[in-house]
Amino acid sequence: MANDKTPIVAALAAATCALLGSSLPDPVQAQEEPKWDFNTALLYYGEDNDRVQDLSLNILARRNFVDDRFLTAGLTVDALTGASPNGALPQSVAQTFTQPSGGRTYTISPEEIPTDDTFRDSRVAVNVNWQQPLGRLYQLNVGASASAEYDYVHTGLNARISRDFNQKNTTLSAGLALARDTLDPVGGVPLALTPMRLADRGDDDDDEGGGGMSANGWSSKESKDVLDVVFGLTQVVSRNFLFQANYSFSDASGYLNDPYKILSVVDGVTGDAVPLVPDPVFDGPSHLYLYEHRPDERVKHSLYLQGKYNMAGKVLDLSYRYMSDDWEIDSHTLEARYRWPVGRSSYLEPHLRYYTQTEASFYTPSIVDGAPLPGYASADYRLGNFDAFTVGLKYGWTTNSGNDASVRLELYQQLGDIPSQQLIGNQLGRDNYPDLNAIILQFGYRFGL
Amino acid sequence: MSKSVVVSLVCALMICGGCASMGVEPWERDVLARDEMQLTTDPVEAALDDHIYFSKEASSGGRGFGGGGCGCN
Amino acid sequence: MSATRGRHVEVTQASGYWVGRFAAMASPCEVLCEAPNRAQALALTKIAAAEAWRIEDRFSRYRAGNVIDRINTAAGAAVSVDAETAQLIDFSRTLYELSHGKFDVTSGVLRRVWVFDGSDNIPDAAAVQSVMPYVGWQRVSWQSPTLQMPAGMQIDLGGIGKEYAVDRAAELLRQASDLSCLVNLGGDLVVTRQPRFRDCWSVGIESTAAQVSLPASLLKLKVGALATSGDARRYLLKGKRRYSHILDPKTGWPVPNAPRSVTVAADTCTQAGMLSTLAMLEGDAAEAFLAAQGVQYWCDRGSEFVLDV
Repeated sequence: MANDKTPIVAALAAATCALLGSSLPDPVQAQEEPKWDFNTALLYYGEDNDRVQDLSLNILARRNFVDDRFLTAGLTVDALTGASPNGALPQSVAQTFTQPSGGRTYTISPEEIPTDDTFRDSRVAVNVNWQQPLGRLYQLNVGASASAEYDYVHTGLNARISRDFNQKNTTLSAGLALARDTLDPVGGVPLALTPMRLADRGDDDDDEGGGGMSANGWSSKESKDVLDVVFGLTQVVSRNFLFQANYSFSDASGYLNDPYKILSVVDGVTGDAVPLVPDPVFDGPSHLYLYEHRPDERVKHSLYLQGKYNMAGKVLDLSYRYMSDDWEIDSHTLEARYRWPVGRSSYLEPHLRYYTQTEASFYTPSIVDGAPLPGYASADYRLGNFDAFTVGLKYGWTTNSGNDASVRLELYQQLGDIPSQQLIGNQLGRDNYPDLNAIILQFGYRFGL
Repeated sequence: MSKSVVVSLVCALMICGGCASMGVEPWERDVLARDEMQLTTDPVEAALDDHIYFSKEASSGGRGFGGGGCGCN
Repeated sequence: MSATRGRHVEVTQASGYWVGRFAAMASPCEVLCEAPNRAQALALTKIAAAEAWRIEDRFSRYRAGNVIDRINTAAGAAVSVDAETAQLIDFSRTLYELSHGKFDVTSGVLRRVWVFDGSDNIPDAAAVQSVMPYVGWQRVSWQSPTLQMPAGMQIDLGGIGKEYAVDRAAELLRQASDLSCLVNLGGDLVVTRQPRFRDCWSVGIESTAAQVSLPASLLKLKVGALATSGDARRYLLKGKRRYSHILDPKTGWPVPNAPRSVTVAADTCTQAGMLSTLAMLEGDAAEAFLAAQGVQYWCDRGSEFVLDV
């Protein structure tokens, strides 16, 4: 008889063969499914001319439960530095501005587009989502999100329900998201269309005692509410082709200004910024600048179409988005990705994106001195006319341990265009729009546990 | 603006009307089941892109909810 | 006793496959298949259900008049059995030898004194000793196809029957169809062929530790079998000591330190089931035994969870 420790598998297989009276079927192929799926990425986003740099760490964890139920939890940590255009126009002379904190001033050389480089921030964002089927045809998704920066807090809830039709070839979905965002800007919330203040605080400390309204009528906190509604259709067309179409409605209300953005007040003939007589006591702005003012409501509609087509293993992903809002911004976005397998376990994916938008009705590069103040005005370049292009390449591969790794490099460029009829006198000869060049470098790693 | 919305909705309805005749049998889903054929292949990359473009452009969302939740500069 | 009451199958559609359900061997059973329509799914489910019911009728020790009943009521007389029964008895004798007497189809009489109902009713040693003379394959004379054993002894093929039924049903489904089917009789299951329109069948292994219905693991099964031994609800608790329902036929007492459950993956359900049962009988050494066999297993000892691939 066999020793106590001798494996019995071979003898058992022979006995089983005899019992079942047939040759044994195919060898078992079982693999434990990871309970957790981690999708991680490290992203560097860097703009030229010492503008915004962002280092972002992302973890998205997904827990598998039986019966197609999933829990997803995400964490994003951003570290941001760099300068951002403050909205003022470049001038032939140096310009001095008060920092948002009200503590100090900064000076911009002649002919340079003014940027505020006191911008430093870190951001932490979290989200959780639960997904589960409801019966055989419905699927429910509920989630919550929150993020915090030192001057901004976001909280949101969302829910989405979808129903399958036509043997799961057609899926209709409806979703609702609610968000409440609170701004607590450094140095308080400026009063719209009032002059940039003096650097009268003597320090950079942004601790605001008490809160509420300060003596100059500034408040310390503002908020906005955002409602998003999405209706979606996903359709499988053939074995190799599917598409989706989404209609989204978004209503933002509350404080929609950017508290750090200003406009130059200019002479109606020369187009030059109106200089100020220096204050005898405090440092302050060299010219007259007004804080911007946007409407307190914005309604957006958008249509998004995406198609995926598989051509013998190569996958073409095309999408188009049209957006229109009641600030009279219209935008079109076209995006294409082409996934190209290289060998057995890697791929290359070129990416092209084109974006174009029209300016907001209240977008203006400057405000004319002496003319009646407009109801709303902003010189934020993001509300102007511009085109943007992204060109990128991603390389993805499966590691020896069976996990997915990827690296992508993309170049993003914004080319703005301020219509000449909006420019006055000396402005016409200058480059007023803060064109943007940025690189995006991302490493991704996906693994199961 | 409201006109464009109407056009969008009509388009969506027309697309939907043709749906019933499209599609595949369950056993023809081999290609569609692959990772690279999912509408969002990489959710992290998609979220990062949404965030970048949200903070640099006037439009956001479309694929899903509007994104955002930052006082981005 | 109305053995055949409740014998019907029902078929429902799930996401991308069909599910046929029926009850057999006191367990919920199902056939998952990639059938293109309800009629095919129903036909395949009926094949599996018919085979499960046939084996239940033939080999259940609760069915009056079947071969097991004839053996157990022979009162010492020799009984001649048919070929299929002879193969099962041959197989159980091999298992008895391979397990050095720990797997024994005559140990069923121990349940006269051991009732695993979650209570603290531990039988006294004298009661256990009183049934031990009726336990032990070495007392049985088996010369295929004739079996003879002392009066008062019984055999019970329940430890093999379910896994055997899964393998038999799977073989019939393989002969009947090219479609991938998953036959599941109360947690012991076989995937007949590699699925075509999905990567694999997903199977959850339940943990006895968690009260909620969280699976301890999710398995992707392309082809092959899984069987589980052990049952979280069948035990006795006295003081702080937990008595598992795995009885050692050599002592008449529960195997000490047996895992709460053991799941094994193998080519056939019979192999998987025997390995998981023998592992339970090894008690403390369950993991070492399974590791030596070189199979994939999931061993649940309550709090800890040992995985080997």
